Amino acid sequence: MLNYAAQRLIQAFVAMFGVLTIVFIVMHLSGDPTLLLVPQDASAEMIAELRHQLGFDRPVWVQYLDYLYGLLHLDFGVSVVQRVPALDIVASRLPYTIQLAAGALVVAIGFGIPAGIVMATMRGSVIERILTAIVVTGQSVPTFLSGILLIFIFGVTLRWLPTSGSGEFSALIMPSIALGALSMSTFARMTRISIIDELGKDYVRAGRARGLSLGSVVVRHVLRNAAIPVITIAALEIGNLLAGAVIIETVFAWPGIGQLAIQSIQSRDFMIVQVIVLLISFVYVLTSVLADFVYALVDPRIRLVR
Amino acid sequence: MRTRLASIAAVVITLMTSAAFAQPKNTLTIDLPNDAATLDPHLQWNTDSYTVYRNIFDNLLTRDVSGKIIPQIATEWDYENDTTITFRIRDDVTFQDGSKLTAEDVAFSINRIIDPTLKSPQLSQFDQIDTAEAVDPTTVKVTTKSAYPALLAQLVKLSIVPKAYVEKVGDQEFNLKPMGSGPYKLAEWKKGVETSLEAYDNYWRGRPPFENVVFRAVPDVSTRIADLKTGKADLVRDLPPDQASSIENDPNTQLLSVPTERVGYLYLNAEAGPTKDIRVRQAIAYAIDKQGLVDALLEGHGAPVNIVGAKPIFGFTEEVKGYPYDPEKAAELIKEAGAEGAAVEFLTSPSYSRALVEAIQQMLNEVGLNVEISSSDQATFLKRRQGDAENAGSLAFGAWSCACQDADGIIYPLFRSGSIWAKYKNKKYDVLVDEARSILDDEKRKQLYAQAYEILREDVPGLGLYQVYALYGAAKNLKWEPSANEAMFVMDMSWQQ
Repeated sequence: MLNYAAQRLIQAFVAMFGVLTIVFIVMHLSGDPTLLLVPQDASAEMIAELRHQLGFDRPVWVQYLDYLYGLLHLDFGVSVVQRVPALDIVASRLPYTIQLAAGALVVAIGFGIPAGIVMATMRGSVIERILTAIVVTGQSVPTFLSGILLIFIFGVTLRWLPTSGSGEFSALIMPSIALGALSMSTFARMTRISIIDELGKDYVRAGRARGLSLGSVVVRHVLRNAAIPVITIAALEIGNLLAGAVIIETVFAWPGIGQLAIQSIQSRDFMIVQVIVLLISFVYVLTSVLADFVYALVDPRIRLVR
Repeated sequence: MRTRLASIAAVVITLMTSAAFAQPKNTLTIDLPNDAATLDPHLQWNTDSYTVYRNIFDNLLTRDVSGKIIPQIATEWDYENDTTITFRIRDDVTFQDGSKLTAEDVAFSINRIIDPTLKSPQLSQFDQIDTAEAVDPTTVKVTTKSAYPALLAQLVKLSIVPKAYVEKVGDQEFNLKPMGSGPYKLAEWKKGVETSLEAYDNYWRGRPPFENVVFRAVPDVSTRIADLKTGKADLVRDLPPDQASSIENDPNTQLLSVPTERVGYLYLNAEAGPTKDIRVRQAIAYAIDKQGLVDALLEGHGAPVNIVGAKPIFGFTEEVKGYPYDPEKAAELIKEAGAEGAAVEFLTSPSYSRALVEAIQQMLNEVGLNVEISSSDQATFLKRRQGDAENAGSLAFGAWSCACQDADGIIYPLFRSGSIWAKYKNKKYDVLVDEARSILDDEKRKQLYAQAYEILREDVPGLGLYQVYALYGAAKNLKWEPSANEAMFVMDMSWQQ
């Protein structure tokens, strides 16, 4: 068990290091923030001067080693645009991202898993067809469209929910639905398939033969066996929800790290982008490790040895 | 189930109360695309930052609605000689901590922004200043490196910071907790979310019009419009022209459309590619229907121009004739130059209207060119546009304002050889604009710019398309007259009685 954890940690470290290196090099090769910082009437000398002051005139590998040296001392650098430590900026945005991811996960699991169960057990019914329609819609409508549509319907026309912002709980509802819709569909489909798979197995027939209703077989036995693929999806989805809310956060003016990431990339604010990259790769690695542990809890047949 | 229903009901009730905005409000809410990057006014010079911090600080000079430079912290000024100017400073101004603003603070502010160790991106706007010195508590003497006519226009952008406070807390802390002498002081800065300001009651120009002002960061324009329509925001800027009529027709909102000093122009690479041939450049000038662009894409919120410059700038001239829309003449010139079907690269980025770029592409293709659009992100776009002529594409659209209302701030950086934007060399032109920026005689300067514009008309290294109108959406009861330099001073706004 400990051995396994150590192994995964090393893997995680290598993965994060690799991602960081690639992002660092690609970002630095595609230009630096100097041109975006100066007023438009700056002369070439002024730009060169500022570039020198900010240290972007050094070779990429020197900047890279400098950055790694800082990391060793837990120094994540200072944003050249905001002149504030990059770690502080990202940390201040993180709670918003977690709130939104949690909200979306509630939508995704709260609706997706029950929908999947119903779709699997009531095949051919009208309810199944309606749910299928909802699931397909959730999966196929792009988030920038569903976001704007939600704002237009519930914000502007009905005036039930605030059109943007992050101050109150009600502001969380629309972005959670818009963001959770895609994951909801994934959960519903995965749950449905796993349950249908399980329903054909002997233990289900045995249970039914003992006189148990379909409902109680599903709740008592099938769900547990059908959970493994759903947990895998959940782990991936948590990573996606934390990292992939760029569009939703932009549309709803939700100040999470997705919005911060896109703005920092656009303004070439390297230090912030790097902190976000580190954070997201860490989250991905962490959730997949956690999923492994949850497998072992749910299904004792799985052992954490390789 | 019952508890869930109850909680839903609770949510709905809170929503309804928060949606029903109480009148009259004492908070003004303004939606901006981004949060301020810095609130230290000597660091970032981007629209979203200065829109916020210029309400916290006063400027040495300012402009009235017509664009004339008028006193703010300085009451009067005179030139001792071509390179020395003295400013008289008001003696009734206090900073938000109660301390008095003196000439020391003004001199400190100027010297701070030109100090290379601050690494201010704004340094280039003030680098002609040699030094500033407080002669007595109400007099500041500023020396420039040479005679510099744009000095006053640049000083309009200079915020006055409190020397004692900055020195006490340091640069980093000052950026997070800025303090100035302006009408509003910082209440809370939720970085990336919103900046809340509250009225500074002892402001020397009188009580500010609103108790509180909140600047929210709302990146998506559709969301900003939705905020305005639902009353969540009272003012939004940069409305897309196709949304103007929906704001105009809504009973709760009004459209503010104001001609600015900003000019939409087309850059033409005069040093490389097919546009190196002057006939091709002139053909392009003939091929573009400016009025058509204004009518179709800007919904009339713009005015065609003959030069790369709009009416509110010093040096604007009516004497220079524009190119009439004449596609046949254009096609002829292209044939003559042997440029039929020549590949012309049109650089652009998501910062510029795609529809506009495509409309120009179509107009040019109709007269025989083969325009290819290369879109990249803004950083890459700038790198190419400002880099070597060989790699700088053939065309690019831009919307230029120096916020200084002077031809020097437009055609000098755009076309003076050696400038990063110029892909054009003309000695005669260089001499004219060099002279115009080193003398103080207004009449003479005007003549020089008229001549310079005539050369640009002939050579077409750039083509003025239209004067940009700034479009704001505002709550119906907001009273405000926007200015040509696109500044947003909350002090000038109020609720309609």
